[in-house]
Amino acid sequence: MNRLRALFLLPAWAFTLLLFLGPLLIIVAYSLRTKGVYGGVGPPWTLENYVRLFDPLYGVILLRSFLMAAVSTLGCLALAFPLAYYIARSGRRKTLLLNLVMLPFWTSFLVRTYAWMFLLRDTGLINSALLAAGLITEPLPLLYNDGAVIVGLIYGYLPFAVLPLYSNLERLDKSLLEAAADLGARPWQTLLHIVLPLTAPGLRAASVLVFIPCLGAYLTPDLLGGGKSMMIGNLVQNQFTSARDWPFGSALSLALMAIVMLLLWTLLRRDGGEML
Amino acid sequence: MKRRALVFSLAAFGCAPARPRLNVFNWSSYVAPETVGDFAAEFGVRVRYSVYESNEEMLARVFSGNSGWDVVFPTHYIVPPMVEQGLLAPLDHARLPNLQNLDPAFARPGLLTHAVPYMWNATGILFNRKLQPRPTAWADLWDPRFTGKITMLDDPAEVLAAALRKLGYSLNASDPAELRAAQREALRQKPILRAYLNSEVRDQVVAGDVLAAQLWSTTAQQAIDAAPDLDFVYPREGFPVNLDCAVILRESPRQALAHDWINYLLRPRVSARVADSMRTATANLAAKRILPPATRDNPTLYPPPDVMARAEWFATLSSSAQRLRDRLWTEIKSG
Repeated sequence: MNRLRALFLLPAWAFTLLLFLGPLLIIVAYSLRTKGVYGGVGPPWTLENYVRLFDPLYGVILLRSFLMAAVSTLGCLALAFPLAYYIARSGRRKTLLLNLVMLPFWTSFLVRTYAWMFLLRDTGLINSALLAAGLITEPLPLLYNDGAVIVGLIYGYLPFAVLPLYSNLERLDKSLLEAAADLGARPWQTLLHIVLPLTAPGLRAASVLVFIPCLGAYLTPDLLGGGKSMMIGNLVQNQFTSARDWPFGSALSLALMAIVMLLLWTLLRRDGGEML
Repeated sequence: MKRRALVFSLAAFGCAPARPRLNVFNWSSYVAPETVGDFAAEFGVRVRYSVYESNEEMLARVFSGNSGWDVVFPTHYIVPPMVEQGLLAPLDHARLPNLQNLDPAFARPGLLTHAVPYMWNATGILFNRKLQPRPTAWADLWDPRFTGKITMLDDPAEVLAAALRKLGYSLNASDPAELRAAQREALRQKPILRAYLNSEVRDQVVAGDVLAAQLWSTTAQQAIDAAPDLDFVYPREGFPVNLDCAVILRESPRQALAHDWINYLLRPRVSARVADSMRTATANLAAKRILPPATRDNPTLYPPPDVMARAEWFATLSSSAQRLRDRLWTEIKSG
C-alpha cells in the first residue's frame, strides 16, 4: 500500500524537484555570479549583487510596488465581497455566475490588457462616449498613469478575490444571520459582528492571492502605466533585457521572493492551517 | 508488392533527414512572405524559421552555444561581443559572391569578417503635421506646449542618445558627467511626456492621441503609409543608426548551407522584395536600385547624404558604462 502511494506520488515529486526546485537553484547560482558582457553570467563568484539590493533607489521602487499592490488589493476586496456575497445567495444561478467570473481567464491576459488600452486612450471608448455626450470638451488623461495601472491590476486579479470569498460566504450558516436579526441586530451590525469575523479567513486568503501577483506585476504597469513608473517586476524584467544584468535580476527576484515568503509565513502562523 | 509499399513508406520517413534543415532565427517582419519558401525550393532544403523581438531575446537563446540555430540577425553593436564570446563563425567571402551588392556605406571596418549587413533603420521624430512649427530637433520634444502629446522610446540607449545629442555630446558617451547631464535632461522632460512607448505608439500617432514620438524610421514609415498627415524628421543635433546583420553561429554544423542562405539574401531581387514588402530599408545597394522610385527616394527610409552626415552609429559599450546607464535609467523611471 505504501509502495503504491509512493508510486502515485512520484510524478508530482519529480515535477516539483525538476521543474520548480531546479530553476530556483539556477537563479540562486546566477545571483552569485558576475554579469556577462551582453547578458549571461560569468566568473567570479560574488556577493556584490546582494549588496546592491540595499541601494535606497531600489527601496523606493519596492515601497512603490507595495503601495500599488496594497491599493489594488483593497480595491479587489471591496468589489469582490459584495459580488461573492451575491453569488453565494443566488441559488441555482450560482454555477452560471461563478463561470462568468472565471470567463476572462479563457483569453490571454495580454489581450485583455490591450483591450483596456482601447477603453482608456484619448480616442478610446470612454473618452469618445464622454465627448459625444458633451460631458467633457478635452479627452481625460485616463491612460498612462498610476490610476490606470491600479484599475488594470484590480481587473486582472478580481477573480482571485471572488473565489475564496465565495467559498467562505457559501458555508456561512444562514441561521446565524437570522439569529442576529431576531436578537435585534441591524443589518450593518450583523455584517460587522457576524459576517466579517466569520469570513476573515476568506478575506485573508483573497488578500494574499491578489497581493502577491500584484506585487510582482510587470505587464500591467508597462502597458497601462506607459513605462513612466517602475514597479519591482519591471525592474527585474529590465535586468534581463536592456540592462543585461542577469545576476542582479536574479538577486532581485530572490529578494522579492523572500519578502513574500516572510509575509505568508506571518499570516499563516496567525491563521494556523485554516487558511487556504 | 508489400515490399514496395514498405520501401515507399520508408522513403516517406527517410526523405526528411535526407534533406538538410537550415535553422534561421530572425527579427519579426524581416522577410517577404515568399523569401523562405523560395530558398527551400531552390536549394532543396527545409528551413526552420522563427522570430524574435529584441537582441536580448536572441542572445539569451544563443549564449549556450548549442541553441540549434544556424543564422541569426544581431544589430551591429552586438556583433563584437558575440565575436569575443566565440559565438560566431568567420565568414568565407568566397562563398558570398553577392557581397559586392552591399552598399559600401554599411561595410563598417571589422564588421564584414563575421557579419553581413541586412536591413537598417535610424531614430528620429514621427510627428503630426498639425504640430506647428514642425519639429526639427530633439529639443522640440522638450516643448511644454505639447505636454501629454509626446512619447519617447522605452529604451535607455535611445532616450539617453536623444538627450546626449541635444547637449552636444556623443550618443555613445560613457563619461559619468555627460551621462548625468543627459539624465537631468530626461528627468526634466519626463513630466511633459505621455509615456515611454516602442512600436505600439504607431497606432496612437495614427489615431491622433500622440502628436510627436521618438521612433525608428521603418516603424514611422508604416505609420505614414497609414496616415498621410504624418511626417518624419531626422533631428538636427544628430541621430543613431541601427544596422541588423546576418551572422553564422560557430555551433552550426551547416556552415556551407548557412553561407548559401546569406548569399541568397544578398541577391538584389530577394533583398528588394523584403525591403519593399516589409517597408524596411535595405543595406544592399543593388537591391535599392531596383526598388520603385517612390520607395528608393523616400527620405524617411533612405535619408539623403546630407542628413546621413549627422548620423552616429551606436557603439558597443563597456560593462561599467552599461551599468551606469542602467542605473541612470532606473532613476529616470522611478523619479
